[in-house]
Amino acid sequence: MTQLISKKNLRLDGRKLDELRPIKLTVGVLKNADGSAYIEWGRNKIMAGVYGPKECHPKHMALPDRALLKCRYHMAPFSVDDRKPPQPSRREIELSKIIREALSPAIVLEDFPRTAIEVYVEVLQSDGSSRIASITAASAALADAGIPMRDLVVGCAVGKVQDKIVADVSDTEDKEGQVDLPVAFMPNLNLITLLQSDGALTKDEFEKAFKLALEKGRYVYEIVRDALLEGFVGRKNEKEGN
Amino acid sequence: MSAEERKHEFVDSIRREQVFRTLETGVRLDGRKMDEYRKIKIEVGPIVKADGSALVQIGNTKALVGVKVLVGTPFPDTPDEGILTVNADILPIASPYEEPGPPDESTIELSRVVDRGIRESHMVDMESLVLEKGKKVYSVFVDVTVLDVDGNLFDAVSYAAVVALATTKYRKATLKGDQVVFSEKRVPLKPKTIPSSVTTAKIGRALVVDPDWVEEAVMDARLTLTFNSNNELCAMQKGGTFGFTPEEILKQMEVARAKAKENRAILKEAIEGAKKK
Amino acid sequence: MAKVLRKFVLPGDLIVKGNYPPAPNTYQMDDGLHSLKVGLSEIEGRNVRVIPLAGRYVPRPDDLVVGVVIDLNAFAWSVDINSFFPAFLTATDVFGKRYSPESEDLSSKFDIGDVIIARVAAYDRSKDPMLTVAGPKLGRVNGGYLMKISPVKVPRLIGRRGSMSKMIEEATGTRITIGQNGIIVINGEPSRIPLAVKAIEMVETQAHLAGLSVSVQNFLSKETGRVVRKPQEGPPQSDDFNSGESE
Repeated sequence: MTQLISKKNLRLDGRKLDELRPIKLTVGVLKNADGSAYIEWGRNKIMAGVYGPKECHPKHMALPDRALLKCRYHMAPFSVDDRKPPQPSRREIELSKIIREALSPAIVLEDFPRTAIEVYVEVLQSDGSSRIASITAASAALADAGIPMRDLVVGCAVGKVQDKIVADVSDTEDKEGQVDLPVAFMPNLNLITLLQSDGALTKDEFEKAFKLALEKGRYVYEIVRDALLEGFVGRKNEKEGN
Repeated sequence: MSAEERKHEFVDSIRREQVFRTLETGVRLDGRKMDEYRKIKIEVGPIVKADGSALVQIGNTKALVGVKVLVGTPFPDTPDEGILTVNADILPIASPYEEPGPPDESTIELSRVVDRGIRESHMVDMESLVLEKGKKVYSVFVDVTVLDVDGNLFDAVSYAAVVALATTKYRKATLKGDQVVFSEKRVPLKPKTIPSSVTTAKIGRALVVDPDWVEEAVMDARLTLTFNSNNELCAMQKGGTFGFTPEEILKQMEVARAKAKENRAILKEAIEGAKKK
Repeated sequence: MAKVLRKFVLPGDLIVKGNYPPAPNTYQMDDGLHSLKVGLSEIEGRNVRVIPLAGRYVPRPDDLVVGVVIDLNAFAWSVDINSFFPAFLTATDVFGKRYSPESEDLSSKFDIGDVIIARVAAYDRSKDPMLTVAGPKLGRVNGGYLMKISPVKVPRLIGRRGSMSKMIEEATGTRITIGQNGIIVINGEPSRIPLAVKAIEMVETQAHLAGLSVSVQNFLSKETGRVVRKPQEGPPQSDDFNSGESE
């Protein structure tokens, strides 16, 4: 088995146990979409686009009391080592659903009855924890579209690798490590909207990992804040004033 | 494209109110306590043509699982492991909201969450299923048929799959050149652990286990947790269009951990009972 | 005059602690008023508001809009107003209560592809928006230059009591009709129109910056080679952000 963590507690890519990969987020990157965001998270390269609120098609799917949220998580055929067939896999269908459910608590869907809000996530290159990077980018794209939201949704995937709890699981760590535990949440409302795990965790390990995910998610939140500030105001460090 | 689809009856405002108000008094509409399951009934081996099978009922929810063990080619990235496939089908007779056709996203999620619970608990010793490394391995198909829907499919399907797998006896295969020859001798698929799944739901401020259909129709969010025989968490999935606070997650984790132990005892009793026959 | 506190807010941000009267683009939590939008929050005494920096056009009754006729049947025109639903303009609004599909032909008045200026007569989110063309300066647009800006930037383009659009009109010698839905009609000498377009684009891209009217004033003065003055307006405010005829 590959040595994933060195004796000095460094990971394959040189990170410390609780260190995130570099994250770069830009909003407003597409012309046609009502809102968009592009995220590079480690070697993940993900484009999120939002359309809406708009007329709902097919019409019979429209909801009388709120907007219909539609979501598609899709991986480009060249995004992984082997070619991924272009038709949606079962994994992509499941992820589309849980990403939609992670975003939906944040959106004020009641404001737009009978309309549809479409969220497209296109994974151009995948490198572990892509669902969290996708949610982060999609929530920034929704904000960019000016869709009313109670909060942003951010997150972090933590994991257990060689019996150690690590933050921001990479591709190799996901495949060869013991546990992957993605968490997405709304930082202001303190509400977890995505939570999954696979692999064995004791009670203490879970609590440690969960806490780490929330702490690192808050760091990701600051990155999203900066990106939206940069995108809308073009400068950082806006202070209260008159 | 994922979009919300109503898979339950329309709950009118009076009944919705009723569910919430009853919960505030500390009981549920059907009289259960917050951490109480409906009656779990397990029938082992109803399908003799399958290598293992189980029918599980939780309240009115009915799930039937049949296991077939065949021989196939291993995946290139795991040449020294057998293959495990969980595939769920919710029959059109099971609910007025199901249509014939390919599985939709909630059915796919159901298959994948149950699969993850079994796989990540390492219940099935995948390495013992190899006939010839990289060439021929046993391929274990866990086919799920949901017959009647009354909430908490995740646990019903998981229990049925676990009991069916734990009681599976498959025909031993040998390789004669490229030919696969099955002997009449059957060997048991010895489980390494008994994963136990517990689904909890958040309804307003209440946290309940084993939500029935009405509760699922009004719930904010769902959390399915699977624990191995050491009662360690081995898989988890949040669902539903709202969220949980971190405190709620930690609370549910412990409620579920205790329930998982109780329910594992029920599963074990069924498995042991079948062995004695 | 109360001091205006202004800051950049994101969805979920706490704008102000405590109990404040409900305001558009905000929601109340136990701790105070939070923002629903990316925008600029303003607190002026007990009044809180969030000026959104993005978003689609949500029709409001009485809004002036510019739309394109996309369909018609025996009783109504269907008009794209750059919102989530096409709006309806009924035949009776144009032909009167005695309208009969046998005697009148809707396409004789407005045909598919025609651009019209209208007001929103009714809209409450559960029904499609209804338009009216009864009123001065409403009806078909006969020529001109059509452009689109983000609907949230419209109040900025209009300026306090119309000051911004008037300044651009006077400096460029054009007439500008601004729909609240972000669609704009510019009329005037063809040679004058490009400068008006440039000025409007400048307003759109710099809408969030303070001192916008001065920048536009300087830009127009430089381009026209003469001193462009800001039209007379009401008593000066700390800033003219998000004013306009919508309020």
